[in-house]
Amino acid sequence: MPKRRDIVAIVLIVLPWTLLITVWHQSAITPLLAARKDDSRDGRSNSRNTFAFKESCSVQNRDIVEVVRTEYVYSRPPPWSDYLSTIHVITPTYSRPVQKAELTRLANTLLHVPNLHWILVEDSQRRTSLVSRLLLETGLNYTHLNVETPRNYKVRGDTRDPRIPRGTIQRNLALRWLRETFRVNNSQSGIVYFADDDNTYSLELFEEMRSTQKVSVWPVAFVGGLRYESPKVNKLGKVYGWKTVFDPHRPFAIDMAGFAVNLRLILSKPQAYFKLRGVKGGYQESSLLKELVTLSDLEPKAANCTKVLVWHTRTEKPVLINEGKKGFTDSNVEI
Amino acid sequence: MATRMKLKLKTVFVLYFMVSLLGLVYALMQLGQRCDCTEHDMPKDRTISRLRGELHRLQEQIRKSEATKQPQKQATKSSLPTIFVITPTYARLVQKAELIRLSQTFLHVPQLHWIVVEDSPHKTPLVTDLLVKSGLTYTHLHMPTAKDRKLQEGDPSWLKPRGVEQRNEGLRWLREDRRAQPGGDNQQGVVYFADDDNTYSLQIFEEMRGTQRVSVWPVGLVGGMKYERPVVEGGKVVRFHTGWRPSRPFPMDMAGFAVSLKLVLANPEACFDGEAPMGFLESSFLQGLVTMDELEPKAANCSKVLVWHTRTEKPKMKREEALQAQGLGSDPAVEV
Repeated sequence: MPKRRDIVAIVLIVLPWTLLITVWHQSAITPLLAARKDDSRDGRSNSRNTFAFKESCSVQNRDIVEVVRTEYVYSRPPPWSDYLSTIHVITPTYSRPVQKAELTRLANTLLHVPNLHWILVEDSQRRTSLVSRLLLETGLNYTHLNVETPRNYKVRGDTRDPRIPRGTIQRNLALRWLRETFRVNNSQSGIVYFADDDNTYSLELFEEMRSTQKVSVWPVAFVGGLRYESPKVNKLGKVYGWKTVFDPHRPFAIDMAGFAVNLRLILSKPQAYFKLRGVKGGYQESSLLKELVTLSDLEPKAANCTKVLVWHTRTEKPVLINEGKKGFTDSNVEI
Repeated sequence: MATRMKLKLKTVFVLYFMVSLLGLVYALMQLGQRCDCTEHDMPKDRTISRLRGELHRLQEQIRKSEATKQPQKQATKSSLPTIFVITPTYARLVQKAELIRLSQTFLHVPQLHWIVVEDSPHKTPLVTDLLVKSGLTYTHLHMPTAKDRKLQEGDPSWLKPRGVEQRNEGLRWLREDRRAQPGGDNQQGVVYFADDDNTYSLQIFEEMRGTQRVSVWPVGLVGGMKYERPVVEGGKVVRFHTGWRPSRPFPMDMAGFAVSLKLVLANPEACFDGEAPMGFLESSFLQGLVTMDELEPKAANCSKVLVWHTRTEKPKMKREEALQAQGLGSDPAVEV
């Protein structure tokens, strides 16, 4: 019958089109789902990595990674976040009995700070296995450098000769490394902080310094023979002086632990280094800062410099009298 | 005419049908493959993920600030034995710094309960605030040292035993608190005496967690030597390698041993004797608990140093004192 044939014809026309449309609609969605699943899998594996720092892997698929932080206390170090500036902590260190202890407890502190890059510079001819092993075991994101201070610059024993600033050559090497590593990509957001291995740092300090635009400053405890030294901040939130007893007229009367510099500023002023020779006691910090910034550019942190978040603690030199001349203990045991 | 038309129509239909069939097959094949849809879904996807990341960050910040309000309590009962760390502390310039860096180490150790005992007639706000902000599980106690046992200004640190009353108070609280817990005297746990100026690696806590009675290990920078340690032969402690009075029953430093909670609860009278001669403080406690051959050596048969007896210098306050004499001292309201 013609009617039936017509119906068959209509069905034969309509059927493939409807199938086509439905199938096409579905196929448009599934690749989308597949892509998202893949990326999130990648992201989770990334967050467990403790990788050596590479600036090149910036844009990639990292944008799609979700930062999943669950048991913050027990995941060390914290997963890398795309939203926080990197803090480059420069620590000069030298070999002495308390070195491993100091570096261990400093590492325990730094392991809580997200997006941290530890630049450890040894005052030695070669990188020692003690420090190399320690750095590997911590799982921190680190760079291990070394440069030996020439003998005539070294501090002799315990005498603190202010004309020979300790750690200067090591800090300068770290600055040079930063400038060589980040030469091309000036868009990297980073903060540079000089942290000595015997000081004590609160975790709040690292979050305060993360927002540094040029140079930020804050009080430091136990320096200059005072409970704490601090910058003087006026009502407008600008630094106008220094609350210290020891030479408050220095251009920057501040301790090494009392300021942080934005990486961009370091890179844009490639000639700025700590002065090595002819630096009066207490003027080392000024020798770098006066090349970078003026007093009015300083950003006060720690509630307008009213809170103490870093302590210039010093560790006693242990008395090793019972070791005797030949060394009582087994020298193979590392301390 | 009609048949030719019909024929043409028929072929048209057939052609049409074949074409659509081919199209269908092609579409079905497309199903299995990933399409390069980067253009039309990336921007939305990126914004979604970026927002999700922000949300996570904010949630985490909220969680962190909430953790400062109450000590962190594990929702799920962990099967790890808890390490009870008893720390005596006293007020001095570097107290806050020492406790902060100690808490930063402890924050990495799971199932750790910090018992801080202040040498003070009452709890100080400095320590109270610090403990609240630390994010650790803690107990805050206080017990003043008897006046005649207290070190005076200028006394050498070894003149009188320090921290005795505080450690005993910590033990007393622990016994009282644990007695009320389910399991009674059979509870899993380890008790460690950690002074606030020493340095602890994270490994030492994992070493001590499996203590059955009393475990021991080397301590660095103590006893006038690079390290002191028990000497282990055949998996047992046979003697002690120390430079000072090795004839003591337990010539070890406070940081060199840990006691299982079971043993502490089973011996309610065991505590530190403040009258013991110099260097015998640890022995006064351990003597009643264990014999030398019962000691469990840790840290690779006592060959690795995982804890150091560091001491912090007293900061020089000459200028501060001079200023205070003039009435121009630094603001005492700023906590250091």
